[in-house]
Amino acid sequence: MDFSSSVASQLHAGTILPEGIVIITLMTILVGDLIFGRSSSRWLPYVAMFGLFNSIVALFFQWNNPNAIAFLGSFSGDNLSIVFRGIVVLSAMVTIPMSIRYIQQSGTSLAEFIAIMLTATTGGMFLCGANELTMVFISLEMLSISSYLMTGYMKRDPRSNEAALKYLLIGAASSAIFLYGMSLLYGLSGGETNLNIIATKITAINGTQSLGLAISLVFIIAGIAFKISAVPFHQWTPDVYEGSPTPVVAFLSVGSKAAGFALAIRLLVTAFGSMTEQWHFIFTALAILSMVLGNVVALAQTSIKRMLAYSSIAQAGFVMIGLIAGTDNGYSSMIFYLFIYLFMNLGAFTCIILFSLRTGTDQISEYAGLYQKDPLLTLCLSICLLSLGGIPPMAGFFGKIYLFWAGWQAGLYGLVLLGLITSVISIYYYIRVVKMMVVKEPQEMSESVKNYPAINWKLAGMRPLQASLIFATVVTSLAGILSNPLFTLSANSVNSTPILRSAIITQEITQSTIQVSSVEDLIN
Amino acid sequence: MLSALIIIPFVSAAIIGLTPLSGKNPRNFAILTAAIILTINLFVCLQFDFQHQGIQFAQDVAWIEWIGLNYHVGIDGLSFPLILLNSLLTLIAILATSPTIQRPRLYYAMLFLLNAGAVGAFLAQDLLLFFLFYELEIVPLYFLIAIWGGTRRGYAAMKFLLYTALSGILVLASFLGLVWLTGETTFDYEILRSHTLPLASQLWLLAPLLIGVFIKIPIFPFHTWLPDAHVEASTPISVLLAGVLLKLGTYALLRFGVGLFLEGWVYLAPWLAVLAGISALYGASCAIAQRDMKKVVAYSSIAHMAYILLAATATTRLSMTAAVFQMVSHGLISAFLFLLVGMVYQKTGSRDVDYLRGLLNPERGLPVTGGLMILGVMASSGLPGMVGFISEFLVFRGSFPIFPIPTLMCLVGTGLTAVYFLLVINKVFFGRLTENLAQLPPVQWKEHAPAFVLLLLIVAFGIKPDWVTHWSEVQAIALLTGG
Amino acid sequence: MNLAEGVQIVSFGILAVMMIGTALGVVLLPKIVHSAFLLAGVFISISGLYILLNADFVAAAQILVYVGAVNVLILFAIMLVNKQEDYVELPGRTIRKVATGVVCFGLFALLGTMVLATPWSLSTTSPSVVDNTVIALGEHFFSDYLLPFELASVLLLMAMVGAIILARRDLIPESMADENTVTTGLTLPERPRELARLGSEEQDS
Repeated sequence: MDFSSSVASQLHAGTILPEGIVIITLMTILVGDLIFGRSSSRWLPYVAMFGLFNSIVALFFQWNNPNAIAFLGSFSGDNLSIVFRGIVVLSAMVTIPMSIRYIQQSGTSLAEFIAIMLTATTGGMFLCGANELTMVFISLEMLSISSYLMTGYMKRDPRSNEAALKYLLIGAASSAIFLYGMSLLYGLSGGETNLNIIATKITAINGTQSLGLAISLVFIIAGIAFKISAVPFHQWTPDVYEGSPTPVVAFLSVGSKAAGFALAIRLLVTAFGSMTEQWHFIFTALAILSMVLGNVVALAQTSIKRMLAYSSIAQAGFVMIGLIAGTDNGYSSMIFYLFIYLFMNLGAFTCIILFSLRTGTDQISEYAGLYQKDPLLTLCLSICLLSLGGIPPMAGFFGKIYLFWAGWQAGLYGLVLLGLITSVISIYYYIRVVKMMVVKEPQEMSESVKNYPAINWKLAGMRPLQASLIFATVVTSLAGILSNPLFTLSANSVNSTPILRSAIITQEITQSTIQVSSVEDLIN
Repeated sequence: MLSALIIIPFVSAAIIGLTPLSGKNPRNFAILTAAIILTINLFVCLQFDFQHQGIQFAQDVAWIEWIGLNYHVGIDGLSFPLILLNSLLTLIAILATSPTIQRPRLYYAMLFLLNAGAVGAFLAQDLLLFFLFYELEIVPLYFLIAIWGGTRRGYAAMKFLLYTALSGILVLASFLGLVWLTGETTFDYEILRSHTLPLASQLWLLAPLLIGVFIKIPIFPFHTWLPDAHVEASTPISVLLAGVLLKLGTYALLRFGVGLFLEGWVYLAPWLAVLAGISALYGASCAIAQRDMKKVVAYSSIAHMAYILLAATATTRLSMTAAVFQMVSHGLISAFLFLLVGMVYQKTGSRDVDYLRGLLNPERGLPVTGGLMILGVMASSGLPGMVGFISEFLVFRGSFPIFPIPTLMCLVGTGLTAVYFLLVINKVFFGRLTENLAQLPPVQWKEHAPAFVLLLLIVAFGIKPDWVTHWSEVQAIALLTGG
Repeated sequence: MNLAEGVQIVSFGILAVMMIGTALGVVLLPKIVHSAFLLAGVFISISGLYILLNADFVAAAQILVYVGAVNVLILFAIMLVNKQEDYVELPGRTIRKVATGVVCFGLFALLGTMVLATPWSLSTTSPSVVDNTVIALGEHFFSDYLLPFELASVLLLMAMVGAIILARRDLIPESMADENTVTTGLTLPERPRELARLGSEEQDS
């Protein structure tokens, strides 16, 4: 008896209220679908969105939670995790309205799809706050397995099957490597699973340099890099993006990636705090490769989904600049950029879904002359793509400026210059799509645009799609100009997160000692 | 008040682009808005204090605090003539647009976005704000070339886009470096000017800025996008491109190159002066070899823009005034020439120097256009009595004592201007009208009205140059003394 | 070295040889059924290792779950599929094999060096302190590993739902009838062809 009561008082189970809400919503949807049958697909998506919205509200009230460490250290509800969980929930909340019509039109069941997506969301949310190795692995698997399921959801489409199989095999391999790295970490720290304790023990036992620690770092980074699809762990991305249902791609490119970045920050900053130089070095290599390869290969793509796959690889490279910077500004610029990336990327995917719903194709050349038939879609897709390319005054421009600015302040000149140059390259392929839509003359119109159906928003599931489209576009165009609140949010979350504070302070100390010594050299 | 100059074009772009105006309405609305903008400009002009050193009508609002971006706008003698020129040429470009243009709503919306971008860049007193507007103007211009351009418009527009985006990135890299080296948290121009960096770091920052700006101006060997863009763009766009957008480059050169990195600038000046001389000679000699009238004007534009660089390298009070004067004068003259070439093209369907003959024929040719063209050529080659003479005289007078040899190179370039334009005039307008051009549609007076307005200004400023110079005299000193 | 330690070392050696041998068999044998049975051997050897580590519960679970469930499932799958397929020899097969071998050997050498070089912090307390591992596990499951334990239930639920979705035969949804009101252009690439055809047949009849 005393065991349970002593444990219960230390759980602080309220910290996972947002996740709890999502799980309850998930159950409601599964049970509702069982009881009411297929007719329930009319209201189930709204239940899901309502639940996700409540979860965001719950997250909001968790801000500055005094009992941040819950479940005896398994889960950390600090502000950093709240922000990242917010990004994951938000991406699910924008993805669901765009998937309703898509799933219905493809003739598969909606309720299960939403249930799987909510599981993925839960997994992603737990991953953002996971503070212990078991928890990290379970939530990672939850996210991954749901992603495999969603990827293969269109099971009669061979491309979807191929994508799912590829994703499953590569994903399982990367999970195994990640797990091996974690097991090394467990062994090296003398049998600890909690990240904070590992951090303290590992330096005490091994010192700062050790081969085992280095191998464990490399293996863990391989697992994370697979999740954020950084080159050279990106091979799955184009095929999976091309084959899987578009709403799934939208979620994978934002929600899953954000969770991966949250994991990267937490795991690397705490457990590998003593190896900061090494993981900065590895991530610099990953960022350079991602930016160059992502942007260059995207130039040659003919399918817009593949193009966005490579573009998402490149964008991950940009975000990594913030991670490598390792300063306050660096982390908050990551969060800021991920928020903006969420809206612009989801906006672009909504447009692609809408286009493929109406014409059934994803080829870039089929967009020719769309301006004449569907000005709204053209406008929204143009704004989102230009924002991804970083053209002012869209939000993406401000996000990129902030990332580069933070990188520059941290002394990553080469990386920032490379980022600047590759973003010029990226403008080329984004504007190619815009050019297709806007510049082409009426006589150059493609076949599918010529046969474009009359625009009808009254079909079932089209209204939510329209709403999410307009919402994403408006946020994309205004979030940059009115970015102060978003910035305050991301800066606060970084400033008030204990793990980052200690990491930054140690770095500053080393830097200031270097400066002091150089000044002394000058004096002598 | 100045914000209105930015807001009005934005709002009107949104109105034209998003509301279902049809028929002639977009055009009328655009003319009306452009006229309003010009009126506001003239109004500002009346209140402008010529003796005041520094920024006037300033507005400073913190916009995005985290990165140090302030909405800080203002005008001085350096920027205001260019803003005035921008509003005037926008109105002229709209008037010169064919009333039956395809997709009028998109066209006028893009035109106003372009206008807003240019005005914003000239007004900005914050480096990041400048960059923001500088980049903003790229996309509308891309569309204006890519949709309403000539046969190879896609290629030309993409080339323009990539070159200009690269130029923007280089300028940004320089700005970021400056703020980082000074240790400031703000991008405000005045604050950053008050720092003086060591020469080595100034040179490091100046180098990317210069390359970026040279792409925009353009200076040899970064010029290759310009002839393509000019040839493929339609007449009103060429007018704006030559008259206003190239000036963004020279403006940045004076404002940031000279204003922020004076020591580094002086250090590099001899080399830059030689580069200006080479660029002027290169532009002029290329112009001689061209068969396309528009390409001739485009290459002459490269040559004349090089004079601004030459004047800026001399860094005397006179040469700075001359640089501003040359910007205005080139803006007016090249706009004038592009309008006339566009008129010839519209009426004859060709710009080929070998094909056109005897257009000055008083009965079946284009006599008025031809006459105006001759006047424009005279102005461009610097004949006294027109604005071109004054500006070039000031440039050479200002820079000769400092850099005699580059100045001589530019003088040769001026001599060549007369050569290539006279070749063109001789072939196109004199001689017998060929049979295949016998049925030319007559030119309405209305169509020539924009050209006449420009001619009036060209002559007026040629007779009363102090109308232009007294804008910038005071500011020229301020720029050089760091006050 | 006392007797118990000697027994431990000998049995470790036997288990290790057995595990490596069966694992090589899984990879190298041409018949898939043989591979599947040898896989069971691998699992059993691993469970033997667990017993050597005094982890009796994990050893039992290993046999129950992996040998009893997973491996039997694999055998069922092999039996049900029962499809002969001739594999086409890949060009440059030997180079691939050699390259794989080199990479694997390199990795093995690296990991081996690491294992030998690292000063592992061995637990000094005698492992026999825990008399009942089930109780210890249970305490952990309901205290510091509560959250992952509970989360695993959601994961399993979703895996089950997913498995059902992938395995069940799709019926033609009733809502297809409404969608026939849509006139043109509504063919998604993901839309199953047979389903679309069935849908239109249904509409015809």
